[in-house]
Amino acid sequence: MLNALAALGRFGGFSVAIAARLVRRPLFFGHILNQTWVTTTRCLLPVVAVTFPFGMVMALQGLEIFRLFGAERMLASLISIATLREISPVLASVLVAAQGGSSCAASLGAMRIKEELDATEVMAIDAIKYHVAPRVVAMTIACPLLNIAGSVSGVAGGYFTAVFIKGESGGTFMAELWSFMQPIDLYGGVLKTTVFGLLIGLISCYHGYRASGGAAGVGKAVNDTVVHSVVAFITMNYFLTSALFGSVSP
Amino acid sequence: MIELKNVSKSFGSNTILRNISLKIPPGQTTAIVGPSGTGKSVTLKHIVGLLRPDEGQVMCFGTDMASASEKELFAVRRRFGMLFQDGALFDSFSVGENVSFPLEHHAPNMSRSERRERVEEKLRLVGLPGIYERPTSALSGGQRKRVGLARAIVMEPEVILFDEPNSGLDPITSDAIDALIQEMKEALGITFIIISHDIVGTVNVADHIAMLYDGNLVAFEPTDRFVRLDNEIVRKFLRRNLVLPEGPDEVARLPGLK
Amino acid sequence: MTNFFAGLGRYGLWCIQFLRAVLTHGPPKGQTLHEAFRIGIKSLPILLIISAFVGTNLALQGYNAFKPLGGQRLVGMFVALAGVRELAPIIAAAMIAAKAGTEMASQIGVMRIREQVDALEVMAVNPLAFLVAPRLIGIVLMLPALTLIAIFVMMSAAYAVSVFQLGLAGHEFIQFASESIAPIDFFYGAIKAMFFGLIICTVSCYFGFHCGKGPEGVGTATNRAVVTSSVICIVLNYFVSELLYGGAL
Repeated sequence: MLNALAALGRFGGFSVAIAARLVRRPLFFGHILNQTWVTTTRCLLPVVAVTFPFGMVMALQGLEIFRLFGAERMLASLISIATLREISPVLASVLVAAQGGSSCAASLGAMRIKEELDATEVMAIDAIKYHVAPRVVAMTIACPLLNIAGSVSGVAGGYFTAVFIKGESGGTFMAELWSFMQPIDLYGGVLKTTVFGLLIGLISCYHGYRASGGAAGVGKAVNDTVVHSVVAFITMNYFLTSALFGSVSP
Repeated sequence: MIELKNVSKSFGSNTILRNISLKIPPGQTTAIVGPSGTGKSVTLKHIVGLLRPDEGQVMCFGTDMASASEKELFAVRRRFGMLFQDGALFDSFSVGENVSFPLEHHAPNMSRSERRERVEEKLRLVGLPGIYERPTSALSGGQRKRVGLARAIVMEPEVILFDEPNSGLDPITSDAIDALIQEMKEALGITFIIISHDIVGTVNVADHIAMLYDGNLVAFEPTDRFVRLDNEIVRKFLRRNLVLPEGPDEVARLPGLK
Repeated sequence: MTNFFAGLGRYGLWCIQFLRAVLTHGPPKGQTLHEAFRIGIKSLPILLIISAFVGTNLALQGYNAFKPLGGQRLVGMFVALAGVRELAPIIAAAMIAAKAGTEMASQIGVMRIREQVDALEVMAVNPLAFLVAPRLIGIVLMLPALTLIAIFVMMSAAYAVSVFQLGLAGHEFIQFASESIAPIDFFYGAIKAMFFGLIICTVSCYFGFHCGKGPEGVGTATNRAVVTSSVICIVLNYFVSELLYGGAL
C-alpha cells in the first residue's frame, strides 16, 4: 500500500516536471507535430479496425432486441449515442494505450536501457524536454482525433450491419441518427479522450523513462503502461460520464 | 563423426559461408577462429542444427543435420553439450535447477537424489561447489559461464561446443575460464569445438585450428603447424592479436605458448 | 496489405507447428495448473476495477438512453444483455491481453534474445511444448472463471449506480436483469472468452518467438502482441456473436 502511494507521488512529480518543461521556450514544435503525426497514423488502423466491428455487434444485438418490440427505428439513435459517448472514447483510448502508449514506453525504455537518455543529458540537452514532453503532447492531441475517427467508424459499422446485413432502411437510419444527437454527444467524447490521452501519455512516458533491468525491463515497462493506463482512464471515465452525461437524456 | 560437406549459407544478400568443408577430429579440441562476423557462430549453429545450410550437408554421428526430422535432431543433440555466450541459463530457475534441467527431461529414471548428486559433482568440476540453491540472477559473468558449462556436461556428452567462452570477461576471469577449459579437456578427453577470437587462449588449448575469413575456410591445421603457417591471412590474424612479433617463428617463441 | 496477409500466413504456420509439437510431446504436466492460477490471480485486481467501472457506465448511459421513452426501469435488462453477451467476455479478454499477453510476449522475447530458446532446442527440448503449451492451457482454464467474475462485478456496480446514484428500484433492476438472460448466455460468454484466450496466447507467444534484437526488439514484440491480439479478438467477436446470437434468440 505504501509502495503504491510512493509510486503515485513519483508519478505526480514526473508530471509536474513535464508541465514545467512545456511552458518554457524552445518548444520543439516540429518534434511535437512529428510525434503527433506518427502516433495518429500508427493508431488509426487499429482504432478503425476495432470500432467498426463493435458498431456491427451493437447493431446485431440491438436489432435482436428491438425487433421484439417493433422498435427498430430506435437502433440508429442507440448506436450513435452509445458510440459517441462511450464506446468510441473507450475503445479508441484502449487502442491508443495499446499501440501509442506501449510504443512510447518501448522506445523510451530502450533509450533508457541503452543509456541514450543519459547521453542526451550529458550533451547538456534536457532529456525530458526533448524526448518526453513532445510525446505526452502528441498523445493528448492524437487521442481525440482518433476518437473522432472511431466514432465515424463505429456508426458506419452499425449502419453496415443494419442496412446491408439485416435489411433495415438506410434512409430511416440516417434520419434517426441525427434526431437524438445533441452537441454534448459530440464534444463530450472529445473532452474525455483529451483527458485519457493525457493520462496515457504521462503513464507511458513515466514507465518508459524509469525502465531498468535490461530488455526484460522494457517488456515490463510496456506491460505496466498498458495495464495502468487502461485502469486509469476507465476509472476516470466513470467520473467524467457522471459529470458530463449524468442526467443528459437524448 | 562430425563433418561439414560443401556447406553454404546466406542471409538475404549476405553470403556468410562459402562452400565450407571441414572434418572435426574426434576426441580432440578444435578451435574455429576468425575476425568478427565471419560466420564462426553460424558454423557452430549448423553443427547443432539450429540453422540449416542453403547447400551442403552437416553430418553428425551419421545423421545429416541439414535434412533431419525433429526426432532425429533431438537424438543427435542428446549427445552434445553447448555453452552459449552468456550461458543462456533460465532466470526463473536456481543454479541447481538449471544444471539438472537436461537430466529431468532425458533421464527420467534417475531418482531425485541421484540427479542432485550428479549436479553437485559437475558443479564441483567447474569450480563452483555448493551453489545449488543460488538464484541465477545473482551470478557474475564468469560464474554464469561455469554454470552453463556444468549444464553442458551434466548428460556426459560426447561433444561439447563453446560459443566464444571468453566474450565479455575481464582478463583475469578470461584466463580462469581458459584454465577451466584446459582442465575439462584433460579430465573428459572428449571432442571440444571452440569458437573464439581470443588467440592466446586458443593456441594454448586447441589441438587443431580452423580459420574462417570472409566466408571461406582459409586454413585448417594442427596447432603447431598453424602458428608457423606461411599464409598471409593467418599471419595477419596472429600478429594482430598478439601485437608484438614479426613472422611465425617469433610467434612460436612467445611466453605463454607451449 | 500484402504484408498483413504474409504475417497472417506465418502466424498460421507457426500455430500448426505448435499443434504438432504439443501432439508429439505433450505439455509438461506439473506447471500447467500453477500457470493457470498465476495468470488468474495476477489479472484479478484490474479485472475487478475495470468490470466495475464498465458496469457503472452501462447503467448511466442505459438510463439516459431509455429515460425519454419512459423506459428507465429497463436499465436492468439493458445492462444484463449488453454486459453478459458482449462486454464481459471482451473485458476479460482485454485484461488477459493487457496483463498476461504482454507478459508472455516479453518473457519469451527476452528468452529468445538471450539464446535461452536456442539452448532449449540444443538440449533437445521442444520450446513450443515447453514454453507455450502450459501458458495456453492456463489461460483457457482461467478465462471462463474470469468472465463470470467480470459479469458479477459489472452487474453489482451497475446495480449500485442504478439504486444509489440514479434512484431506481433495486428489485426491478434485478427482476428485469434476470428475466433477460438465460443460462446459455453464460455458457456462450465463457466459450467466447476461451476462444479469445486462445488467440491472445498464441499471438503473444508468436511475437515473443519472433522477437527482434535487443531491448527494442522486446518492446516491439510486446507492443505488437497486445495490439494485434486485441484487434483480432474484437473483429472476430462480431462473427462469433453472429454465430451464437444472430437470428437465433
